[in-house]
Amino acid sequence: MKRLTVAVLTLIASGTAMAAGENNVGNCGPGSKLFEGQSGIMPQVLAVTTNTTLGIQTFGITTGTSGCTQDGAVKSNWKTALFIEGNKERLARDMSIGHGESLDSLASLIGVREEHRATFVRTAKDNFQRIFASDNVSGEQILQSLKRVLAESNELVAYSTTI
Amino acid sequence: MQRCLRWLMVLWCVPAFAAGDDYLVELVAAAHANGLAERQEWRTLVHYKPRLAHPGLESQADDQAFFNAPDGKTNPYAELDATLASFFSAPDEADKDRHPQCRFIARYHWLKQELGFDSRRLIEQPCKRFNDWRTALNPQRITLVFPAAYLNNPASLYGHTLLRVDARTQDERTRLLAYSISYAAATSDTNGILFAVKGLFGGYAGLFSLSPYYAKVTEYNDLENRDIWEYELNFTEAEIDRLLMHVWELGPVRFDYYFFDENCAYHLLSLFDAARPSLRLTDRFPLWAIPADTVRVVAEEPTLLRATTYRPARSTVLRYRQRQMPADHIRLATAIALEDSEDNQRRLAALPEPQRARVLEVAFEYLDYERLRGRMPLGNRTGARLHELLLARSRLDVPNAEAPPTPAVRPDQGHNSARVSAALGRQNGRTFEELRLRPVYHDLLDPQAGYNGGAEIEFFDTVLRHRQGGDGLRLERLDVIDIVSMSARDDLLKPLSWRLNLGAARKRVASELNPLVTHAKGSVGFSAEDRWGSLWYALLESELDVHRHLERGYALGAGPGAGVLFDVTPRWRIQLEGRALRYGLGDVHSGSELMLNQRVTLDRHNALRLEFSQRREFDQSTREGVLSWSVYF
Repeated sequence: MKRLTVAVLTLIASGTAMAAGENNVGNCGPGSKLFEGQSGIMPQVLAVTTNTTLGIQTFGITTGTSGCTQDGAVKSNWKTALFIEGNKERLARDMSIGHGESLDSLASLIGVREEHRATFVRTAKDNFQRIFASDNVSGEQILQSLKRVLAESNELVAYSTTI
Repeated sequence: MQRCLRWLMVLWCVPAFAAGDDYLVELVAAAHANGLAERQEWRTLVHYKPRLAHPGLESQADDQAFFNAPDGKTNPYAELDATLASFFSAPDEADKDRHPQCRFIARYHWLKQELGFDSRRLIEQPCKRFNDWRTALNPQRITLVFPAAYLNNPASLYGHTLLRVDARTQDERTRLLAYSISYAAATSDTNGILFAVKGLFGGYAGLFSLSPYYAKVTEYNDLENRDIWEYELNFTEAEIDRLLMHVWELGPVRFDYYFFDENCAYHLLSLFDAARPSLRLTDRFPLWAIPADTVRVVAEEPTLLRATTYRPARSTVLRYRQRQMPADHIRLATAIALEDSEDNQRRLAALPEPQRARVLEVAFEYLDYERLRGRMPLGNRTGARLHELLLARSRLDVPNAEAPPTPAVRPDQGHNSARVSAALGRQNGRTFEELRLRPVYHDLLDPQAGYNGGAEIEFFDTVLRHRQGGDGLRLERLDVIDIVSMSARDDLLKPLSWRLNLGAARKRVASELNPLVTHAKGSVGFSAEDRWGSLWYALLESELDVHRHLERGYALGAGPGAGVLFDVTPRWRIQLEGRALRYGLGDVHSGSELMLNQRVTLDRHNALRLEFSQRREFDQSTREGVLSWSVYF
């Protein structure tokens, strides 16, 4: 009943060993494009909400290590990457408006302090075109672009290394 | 008797234990002396429930790995003894976390607390994996999350529930980062009948799983267009620990998934019972568990509910935004969503910035809504267009629009799902009395607060009638399944409306012949809301009747139907409906019907209905009026 099956299945099943360091965003599964098409509409009449486990970024508990999770909990240096991967569209929308929960959550993950939040939001919005260069951009590319944008800002340069 | 035998068993087994197991013998004896196997905490942790058909208990877990004793599924005493024994197992150097103390960590900690384990005589295992996991969750609070129904899928009226583990470092802006725990059927089947049947009858294994909350919000708010209600609960730190330990125990365990009773909502309640055994929430759902009802018992439990939050679905936001905009702006939004023509650009540029921002936002929301529904109006250019719309918006320095307001009535505050009614009426001059029972769930005339408008879903609605001078109570009507989905069309969203009914009802086929005719009915059409909020609908209806009194045993017909639902006052609803069907196959005939129904809400649990109908079929005219009193419980 849930979509995005291909990207998700690979994400869950990916046993690709996590490479050391924070820069290896891409190793946590191939991810999907921004604004990727969805497959079909679910059957209506007999749609029972069994809510299968094939949901987005769903992990079994006590399944041990799997790519970027341990027993379902995301390993800390993958959190930002996984968040961006799973929230691309919402982040894009929030950034274009300059407000939103996904954007706040991203700021929190990066560790942006309260006094820098307004600048963070403003800078992201002003640099929308660089961060979300096209609709073909991947989670990793978004993260790298964001890093570069932060590095160029006097106030936010410290955060470009914490991502 | 059983207790005596247990004592004998223990004494019998003493020589079989090695010398170092003296402590085990002591613990088992202490457990028996304290009646621990009969305690609610033990029953809850091992999910024992009374068996329906015979005396005794049975655990709802369907996985031998959940039990330490071979007969653990039906024997709480043996299970407790075997669990204690398992704690003494030698740790496997390769995987210490597979040790029973860690696999059954909730049981371990409860027994440790009750029996006061001596750590010199029973070595406590470190359980690193559990501790790491718990640290990653960093729990402070538990929130019950209820994705409510959404338009055009009445099956979603049934709802779903999941938990969110709110972290210490979290605030109300970063709820998305919390983890959520959900119980669901483990399957990759997504389709139709097989899915429904297997889900109904335990054909799937249900498993607990963990997800970042943002993934669930995307799934429910965006993909399924369901409003989400969050209920923050007041569990203490110790209770939250017990809950998480129990989730850890349940992680790899298979419970057969049953759509009606042992479903997502039921198993989440079992987690609450583990946290606070005095709640006994699962005991209140012996036969079936409707998610909305489970939310209700939690919300109504004194001191358990702390606060609630509302998250509107994408479609809810879209409908709200439309109402804030003039019609020509909505048309412009649709136009620019689909095409970047010079004309559209000019019209957009002519607007002042704040309104331009709103139009761009609605254009984006509309196009993205279509994308998420699986329709790509611009083919592979859809993504690019969405990107362009956001880019244009990013250049406007306009603050965000306000969110849709929180509805005055929450889903758990709506009427209860079971309904019983007593009625008095007259049909063609003869008086009758009726008793009606509808176990589940909501129809178009029930008080709407807390429910979606235009949506109806009922199972096994039963009407028993006693006619004046007649022979006892007989079945007048039974609706096995009745589903209605009247989603109003607006400028942007143009859903279909439809109805489905399977059941049986009495039809007058001759002047004294009123047999119970089995039927299947289906209709499809459109509905729309007028500016006063009334719902108008027009449908193409079809009906298949089967009964031996019909010529050739059946009749298949089709024809137009239409109606209107409107609220004279918030408590008083009127429905006017008519249809005319021509049965061209089987028993060839025509039938028509006109109905005027009214409902007056007395309070949350009581309502009155007055229903008039005029039917003409098989050259028989039937006139009926009924006054009924309904109680929701």
